[in-house]
Amino acid sequence: MQLSVTPARWSALACGLAIAAVAACSSHVSAQVRASTTATYYRESGANLSHQAITPSVRVSGVVRDVVSLRLGWDADVVSGASVAVVDAPGGDVDAITSATKWSDFRNNVTGGIGVRGEYTSLDVNYTWGRESDYRSHSFTITGRAELFDRNTTLELGYGRGFDQVCNLAQPRAQEPVDRQRLPSSDGCFDADDRESLDLSLQTFRGGWTQAWTPIFATQLSVSAQVINGFQGNPYRAVWLGRAAAQENHPENRVRYVGNLGARLWVQPLRGALQLAGRVYRDTWDVFSVTAELAWEQRLWDGLSVRLRGRYYNQTGAHFFSDDYGRAPRGQYFTGDRELSPMSSWLAGGRVRLDLPAGDDGKVGPFAAFAIVGVFDMLFYDFREFRYGRREVPNDKGMLATLSLEAEF
Amino acid sequence: MDSPSSSELLLRKIVTPGAVRAAARTSARGLGLIGLFALVACSTVRPEEKEFLAQPSMTFGSGGEDAAQEDHVISNREGSYGGGGVSGGGCGCN
Repeated sequence: MQLSVTPARWSALACGLAIAAVAACSSHVSAQVRASTTATYYRESGANLSHQAITPSVRVSGVVRDVVSLRLGWDADVVSGASVAVVDAPGGDVDAITSATKWSDFRNNVTGGIGVRGEYTSLDVNYTWGRESDYRSHSFTITGRAELFDRNTTLELGYGRGFDQVCNLAQPRAQEPVDRQRLPSSDGCFDADDRESLDLSLQTFRGGWTQAWTPIFATQLSVSAQVINGFQGNPYRAVWLGRAAAQENHPENRVRYVGNLGARLWVQPLRGALQLAGRVYRDTWDVFSVTAELAWEQRLWDGLSVRLRGRYYNQTGAHFFSDDYGRAPRGQYFTGDRELSPMSSWLAGGRVRLDLPAGDDGKVGPFAAFAIVGVFDMLFYDFREFRYGRREVPNDKGMLATLSLEAEF
Repeated sequence: MDSPSSSELLLRKIVTPGAVRAAARTSARGLGLIGLFALVACSTVRPEEKEFLAQPSMTFGSGGEDAAQEDHVISNREGSYGGGGVSGGGCGCN
């Protein structure tokens, strides 16, 4: 008998495991347990290309005798919307958007981790298992930290390894990319004879340095490099090449380099913190991006804090991006991905956190502490060169809302 | 004229203009690292002075799960998403 595992069962299983972990840790005399549940709603609207994603999650973590930490979590992406199956098909400016293909998917991620802490050092290991109808993944991370100079300096080194599999339409390996057909649907993925599984391998190296410079100023610098090898396109999407459409064809190798610099300054007269962040990214597909973020976090009164933030993002396009491969091909690779075109975005948003006051017994009901967090962001995208035929991207605005509950036992 | 000795020939092979430049670059980096290390070691904030640094708003990575999800949703819609982790994120198909 084959046991069918529905998304609802996955959710129930994950919640059950989380509750069991809380109960197990709570029963331990010297354990500190934290649990949180979060749900994020994202929506892009515009003509028929509306898109929405709901991301629920449950996280439980416990520290036993200040030495060993355990983490368990589950999250999902419930996504639905419509997308253009053949980008720039003839007449695309007329009907590509109105005839967009509707789709929906459900992605589950289960994660577990263990950490060991010394007085000035710590080591954490994590494993994440991900599954959706057309995608499977396993990933491991290991991170080591050391605190130096009266804990004013923290150095961090991390390594991650991912093993992913993507479903695709079974096609002869010797076939030319321009003859490959797109995957029509996820039906039969990882089972049927006319489907194949393509590997994607990821390796990430990361280093970080956090420094307290003065009693009111701290910085964090991190650099990372990621090596990706395997199928990196969207199997469902095809691109019009002038005479026919073919499944988009991305290079199999990509190396990414990222540098992040963050700074935080406490402004005592206002009793708030100024937060600055910058990110520089470059990869071997010639995508170069910069991100700048400015935020202000203010404690209004005991237990209530507000954070306002603005973010700007700008990137160049991949070297093989073209908005019309029929007239301006870019060699052997072609893509219909708007996120590989030159683009920029603005974000404006805010976050409110309320820590409920404790009673006379120092507790908030059955909890040692309890907090409610709400986040709301608006996003504005500008796709400078990407068109569906002659139509501009209609869904160029997004809205994001998050509600999170955090409890400490 | 005397022919160069074997030790002189060896020295000429080692001390090429490229090797000198590489050595200078390495020395500059080494001095830079030492300088940075000295700067870091001197900028000590005593434990009793860390009242403000201990505030959640001053702590890097204190955003919690809501911040992680926010970053996940936003960065998945950009061409330079990821690069800092390996967690499976689907193919970004949709």
